[in-house]
Amino acid sequence: MVNIQTQASNQDSLQAVDMMLNLGPQHPSTHGVFRLVLWLDGERIVRAEPHIGYLHRGSEKLCEREDYTQIITLFDRLDYVANLNGELAFCMAAEKLMGLEVPDRAWYVRSILCELNRIASHMLFYGVYGLDTGAMTPILYGFRERERIVLLFEAVTGARMMHNFIRVGGVKQDLPEDFVQRVNKLTDELKRGIEECDQLLTNSELFLARTKGVGSIDGPTARDYGCTGPVLRASGVKEDVRVSEPYGIYDRFEFGIPVGSNGDCWDRYYIRVEEMRQSLSIIEQAVKQMEPGPIQAKVRRIARPPKGEAYVRTESPRGDFAVFLVSDGGDKPYRVKVRAPSFANLQSITHMLRDAYIADAVVILGSIDIILGEVDR
Amino acid sequence: MLGNLKGLLLTLKVMRREPVTAQYPDPSKRLPIDKRFMGFPALLWDNSNDEPFCTGCMVCVRACPTQCMSAEMKDNPKFADGTSRRRKIIEKFEINLSRCILCGICVDVCNFDAIEMSHEHELSKFERNGARAALPQLLAMGKKYQAETTWQPKQPEKNLGKPPEKPATAPQPEKVGGVVTS
Amino acid sequence: MTALEGLFYGLGAAGLLVFLSGTVMVLTWLERKALARIQLRMGPMRVGPHGTLQPIADVAKLMTKEDITPSWADKRVFWLAPAALLMPALLVWVTIPMARDLVLRNLDMGLFYVIAVSVLSVMGLVMAGWGSANKYAMLGGLRAVGALISYEIPFILAVLGVAMLSQSMDITRIVDDQRSIAYIIVQPLGLFLFLVAGLAELGRTPFDIHHAESEVVGGPFVEYSGAHWAAFMLAEYINTFTVAALVVLLFLGGWRWPAMPGDGALHTLLSLIWFLTKTYFVILAIFWIRGTFPRLRIDQLMAFAWKVLVPLAFVNILLTGLVLYYDLGWWVLTILSLLSLAAAFYIIFGRYGSRAERMTVRVYSTRELGLKPAVRPQAAPPPDGSPVQVDKAPAAGA
Repeated sequence: MVNIQTQASNQDSLQAVDMMLNLGPQHPSTHGVFRLVLWLDGERIVRAEPHIGYLHRGSEKLCEREDYTQIITLFDRLDYVANLNGELAFCMAAEKLMGLEVPDRAWYVRSILCELNRIASHMLFYGVYGLDTGAMTPILYGFRERERIVLLFEAVTGARMMHNFIRVGGVKQDLPEDFVQRVNKLTDELKRGIEECDQLLTNSELFLARTKGVGSIDGPTARDYGCTGPVLRASGVKEDVRVSEPYGIYDRFEFGIPVGSNGDCWDRYYIRVEEMRQSLSIIEQAVKQMEPGPIQAKVRRIARPPKGEAYVRTESPRGDFAVFLVSDGGDKPYRVKVRAPSFANLQSITHMLRDAYIADAVVILGSIDIILGEVDR
Repeated sequence: MLGNLKGLLLTLKVMRREPVTAQYPDPSKRLPIDKRFMGFPALLWDNSNDEPFCTGCMVCVRACPTQCMSAEMKDNPKFADGTSRRRKIIEKFEINLSRCILCGICVDVCNFDAIEMSHEHELSKFERNGARAALPQLLAMGKKYQAETTWQPKQPEKNLGKPPEKPATAPQPEKVGGVVTS
Repeated sequence: MTALEGLFYGLGAAGLLVFLSGTVMVLTWLERKALARIQLRMGPMRVGPHGTLQPIADVAKLMTKEDITPSWADKRVFWLAPAALLMPALLVWVTIPMARDLVLRNLDMGLFYVIAVSVLSVMGLVMAGWGSANKYAMLGGLRAVGALISYEIPFILAVLGVAMLSQSMDITRIVDDQRSIAYIIVQPLGLFLFLVAGLAELGRTPFDIHHAESEVVGGPFVEYSGAHWAAFMLAEYINTFTVAALVVLLFLGGWRWPAMPGDGALHTLLSLIWFLTKTYFVILAIFWIRGTFPRLRIDQLMAFAWKVLVPLAFVNILLTGLVLYYDLGWWVLTILSLLSLAAAFYIIFGRYGSRAERMTVRVYSTRELGLKPAVRPQAAPPPDGSPVQVDKAPAAGA
């Protein structure tokens, strides 16, 4: 009959066998091609084993044979939901190595776009998370808001997702003339949109029942697993690269860092909703502070950073996105290592899945908000 | 329960709004293509001299991260007549549009204002290799782009092909991708 | 039974079948459109004006689609499952009246029959789950069994409250009893119980754990395709229509409240239209709930059935009995019903605390965390002494 692969349970006296269930790689709620092997005792998870690597494209190795302008296109495709944040990390590493002073205007453009991208990414999370918990509507509301941001991106960078906009030493183009006007309109719309999304899901008792107290992880454990970003902050650790190790012009803004206390799925969810509001406030401040000026430092068209290595941390929507760059003085890097936040956050899933139900597995996986492009690289 | 009721009220409220989506081929609902929109790369036509800008210098071919292009140059017959400044002209050019990632690096590196990200973006083709655009198609895309927008060469004094008024005995020295070689 | 009677029932059954199939087609279109409106989409627009012919295209597609049998499937069980689900869904309609005398056969124990037959449908789901030889299908099938058996009890008990009020199990008589006042006003608690248990019976959001696309990928139906899958969907939608119709008949006064004018055929027609209008409103409410709520987990679902709905159903019966025994006015029951409903909500949802209490996320400002000055690379020569390579700025801006 049913060909059930079995494995002896740890409760041998009961003579029960656990059912092995492959959640993925072809499963609608694994957010890409992620495979989670679950051993089930009824609906309860006895053991979980994540398998990654289905989306491995060898991006780090590819970087070794592309020159610095071309690598930016690869970083677009690592975290394919927050593309600009990935570009920024690589460009900052190259700039650190070359000792480039990036003009202020370029930093404002970068910050505004990266924070917008953070909102876009969190909006996608919001929608998909609704779908994971079984609500159909949030994804369409989330995408409606994301679409507004993506349209603005198109006006600025010429592309909706794969921008190739942030360059070593600055940005590709200055903002279009009507940008300030459009971004002000966008922030107003987004404020309303975020409140609407918040109202639909956050305080629904059914949603609370599904997420409160599910997949808890405490601060020290999360830190030990190497979690960063919302996953770590939900566990009550006040850690945000923009504050603890500020880069760019993040010391010029006043914004809030939402920190949870239970480390459960609801905290991880709500931190992202709150972060969207904080990002909006950063964007508003940046638009006010921004002044005209150059947008590009002086860089050779073929950049050749001096021999050396640089490690740069940035706060991507998923956490600490860091790039380690080694240059041998040539026009192609000797080695590029990406410290992907989703990869580290995903490790904690075995801890979170302890004694959870199958339904929880989906909710917990969703709350980590992995992007497989970044996990597998 | 209050949270649930709020959600219900919200969906009821939203139900009365107009949909944000549109039926796809509805021409009246199409989003305007933004000025900076990066579609597929296209080769531009030098209307002042009735020949392409491209000299086949291969800079873009080498800078392309996905190696989706190939180019071949030839001696420009018009240069021999003295009616053009371009010593070399493009003979064959092919872009595999299904391989192109629309990064715009080819436009950045071009010294002759010869390539531009056009507003073409529909990729549906009926043949297996239908997305491989050869020179005539690329030039047609470029001409369409030039007709639709107010595109002007960034360095007209250097790149327009009209020969100088004096006889073409001393042609301008041309840079053939020298800046970009690694 | 004479041959004439046989012909009558045969024609009636055929007519009912056609009517129900048509209803299902309307419902699929309606659900897609209703969800689309909630989600700011347009829904089906291609086939016919506003996609009205979409259901016909769907039927044509499903009937011509290849029917795949998994090689490990228990073939007999696998192929019988759709029938096992569809048969009870159709049989229920034998005794459900849509207007006075517009019923195949009015039974004295109509409600009893409806419940007894509808409970059989769980067999179809568990057969599909087991026969598919798919772990997701099996999980879904077992979930369905757990959920349906649990929710059958509050469902029956809620019906019992209505039967007590009207002193009858005959649906026509229950409707007649509501000619002056509908039971929704007399027994709001009963309606709540019936609707919630009915949603769970249907496996609709927020109780759709056996489909649960994000968890068990469609549950028992995951291996079905083509006509057999269509049979499942037919049964699902007929059940939805049944529950909505029962809500209308038992609580919203059926075709009687407020009374329709006219007599004879005209009255029957008006009654039918009035009944269908009410039913579609209930169905829209079900779709509306689907468009809003997330899904419960299986243990929460069970806890809700046994810890909340079953006790509440007993309270409902007790209150109804007391009011009937002491012959108090119907408004006493209304007030008591509402009070117990409010108390139940307070107890269930009180554990989530107030908004302030459950807000476990605090926003620390940058000042509180002590923002340090940002580290930005300076234009200084690198340590190994090689010169910084700056010679040419590319063209910036457009």
